[in-house]
Amino acid sequence: MIILENIRMALQSLRTNPLRSVLTLTGIAVGIGAVLYVVILGEITQQRINERLESLGSNVLLIRPAYSRMRGVRTAASVINLKWDEAKEIKTTSDVITATVPTYTGQGVAEFKDQNWSTSVTGTTPEYETVNNDHPIEGRFFSEDELDRRARVCLLGATVHEKLFGNLSPIDESILINSKRFTVIGLLGSKGESWHNPDNQVFIPLTTAQERLYGVDYLSSILAQMRSAEDYDESLFDIETILRRNHRLRSDEDNDFRVRRQDLYLSTVRETNLEIANFVIIIALVSLIVGGIGVANVMLVTVTERTREIGIRRAIGAKKFHILTQFLVEAVILGIIGGILGIAGCMGFNYFITGNGLNIPLDWVGYSFIICSGIGSIAGLYPAVQAANKNVIDALRYE
Amino acid sequence: MLIEMNNVFKTYLLGEVKVPALHAISLNIEDNEYVAIMGPSGSGKSTLMNILGCLDTPTTGTYYLARKDVGSLNDNQLSDIRNTRIGFVFQTFNLLPRSSALHNVELPLIYSGMPSFKRKQLAMDVLERVGLNDRMMHKSNELSGGERQRVAIARALINKPSLILADEPTGNLDSKTGEEIIEIMQRLYEQGNTIILVTHEEYIAKQTNRIIRLRDGIIESDEKV
Ligand SMILES: Nc1ncnc2c1ncn2[C@@H]1O[C@H](COP(=O)(O)OP(=O)(O)OP(=O)(O)O)[C@@H](O)[C@H]1O
Ligand SMILES: [Mg+2]
Repeated sequence: MIILENIRMALQSLRTNPLRSVLTLTGIAVGIGAVLYVVILGEITQQRINERLESLGSNVLLIRPAYSRMRGVRTAASVINLKWDEAKEIKTTSDVITATVPTYTGQGVAEFKDQNWSTSVTGTTPEYETVNNDHPIEGRFFSEDELDRRARVCLLGATVHEKLFGNLSPIDESILINSKRFTVIGLLGSKGESWHNPDNQVFIPLTTAQERLYGVDYLSSILAQMRSAEDYDESLFDIETILRRNHRLRSDEDNDFRVRRQDLYLSTVRETNLEIANFVIIIALVSLIVGGIGVANVMLVTVTERTREIGIRRAIGAKKFHILTQFLVEAVILGIIGGILGIAGCMGFNYFITGNGLNIPLDWVGYSFIICSGIGSIAGLYPAVQAANKNVIDALRYE
Repeated sequence: MLIEMNNVFKTYLLGEVKVPALHAISLNIEDNEYVAIMGPSGSGKSTLMNILGCLDTPTTGTYYLARKDVGSLNDNQLSDIRNTRIGFVFQTFNLLPRSSALHNVELPLIYSGMPSFKRKQLAMDVLERVGLNDRMMHKSNELSGGERQRVAIARALINKPSLILADEPTGNLDSKTGEEIIEIMQRLYEQGNTIILVTHEEYIAKQTNRIIRLRDGIIESDEKV
């Protein structure tokens, strides 16, 4: 009953000083809008990373060469120590590793008609497709037969495709990679932007890369697929045993290779991303708190200005409690209207920046209202207590 | 007995200095009396009215309103008494300037928790009794002084108080409008209300049935008219 009256009175008093009300609202709106925006952007980024994590699977290990150190001295040759035979050996020897994918990545220039584009060239085996869960969106992957024949076929990453062909289909077209002629047999889907661009790549058979293009007999990396993520320790043991023996490492020497779980790597990225997001959220929260201080300030001014009104209300029978709730409700309403404007502003800002609508999850709309009314009530509490505790006679005589 | 005051002192503290405003006031007022309080400026009339109206409390001494010891009541109970038993009319009207006459009049009922439709009806009835039926939706700062004071009287009447206190109700009005207000007071007295009225005008005081004269916080004389 009285709360409805309070809301009515609050709206009326906000209308009496529109400019001041709007300025106060803006403080809250900017604060909550910033918090919302950061939180939602953070969630969207997390979601993208999670999706990639899922598509990668948590059971793929990446083996790369590393400089081996002996009493702090680096041995130079170790960068060329991973061999295809070792990939095969790991797969056949280990019970827990179900597939290995050897890759060699070099730099190259791809040319089509008058377009040319500098890109990574990755030589690999057909297992790459299944282990990485990276299926062509058009055309096909190369076959074992093509691998054996050192066939000059290639698949294009999304960026290379766009740079050379625009929107046209590249399938069966003939392009030059490092001046050698290749036939395009497949097109890979975009994996999205990241700290490096995974779409700026061309895939060719490993044999072709090693023998025809680069003249090397070693690998850049080996992907090893485990039976399941729980086999990590055993897989690691098998890989280390085989590679250390092949590389003739003494027991006092460190590994000259590194084994990394793909998902753990991405988890680190995720954590970094989270830390950045949290930091920005804190900044946004600070602006929200500043908005709250604005509300407190305005409420203090309001209470002083309306001393006489408080006296009148008390004189005709309002209890301290009534005065307290009146001003508290006013502050909360300031907060809530600020919240509504903030949500609208957040969506508007996103539209302005990206041209897209922003779907704010309903639970976050709810949180915003809770946060805003919370800030309103905290900011309004002290002024409201001041108002309620005014001496009736003094308040009535206040000019 | 509606009012029993015994040996009431009121002393204001201005920093270190004690300002005595009321000195050993003892006073009995019955139901349906019409009392005028007179006295020079600063004699303590408003101070006495504020204590009678439970807006303020005595420094020492006892005040019984309808046999209730006002000195023993807490803030909430005092608010309740102001809300339901006392109708206060001020020299400066003390209306909410941006609210309508109707809202000003129904305000006491909001605090006593009466539902909206009921209190609106009551407020309209009372406004009609003071002759303001055509001004109900006007904001009080759009009304003339006399109209404002009538709104204030309507507000004082809305809770059917046992005691109507009017501290110089005509003080801010010209004599013609003042007379209209006094006529309303007279009518309220005839309808059975108890009224205490502060005035500087002898001719107004003559219309009441008891005149109490204050000087320097002391009752100088107290006589029936
Ligand atoms: N809040 C206060 N603080 C300090 N002194 C006060 C206060 N209120 C009243 N007084 C003093 O108490 C005395 C009585 O004041 P009061 O207002 O009761 O006089 P009054 O008879 O109503 O005068 P007037 O006819 O001018 O209204 C005066 O000396 C006044 O200065
Ligand atoms: Mg006075």
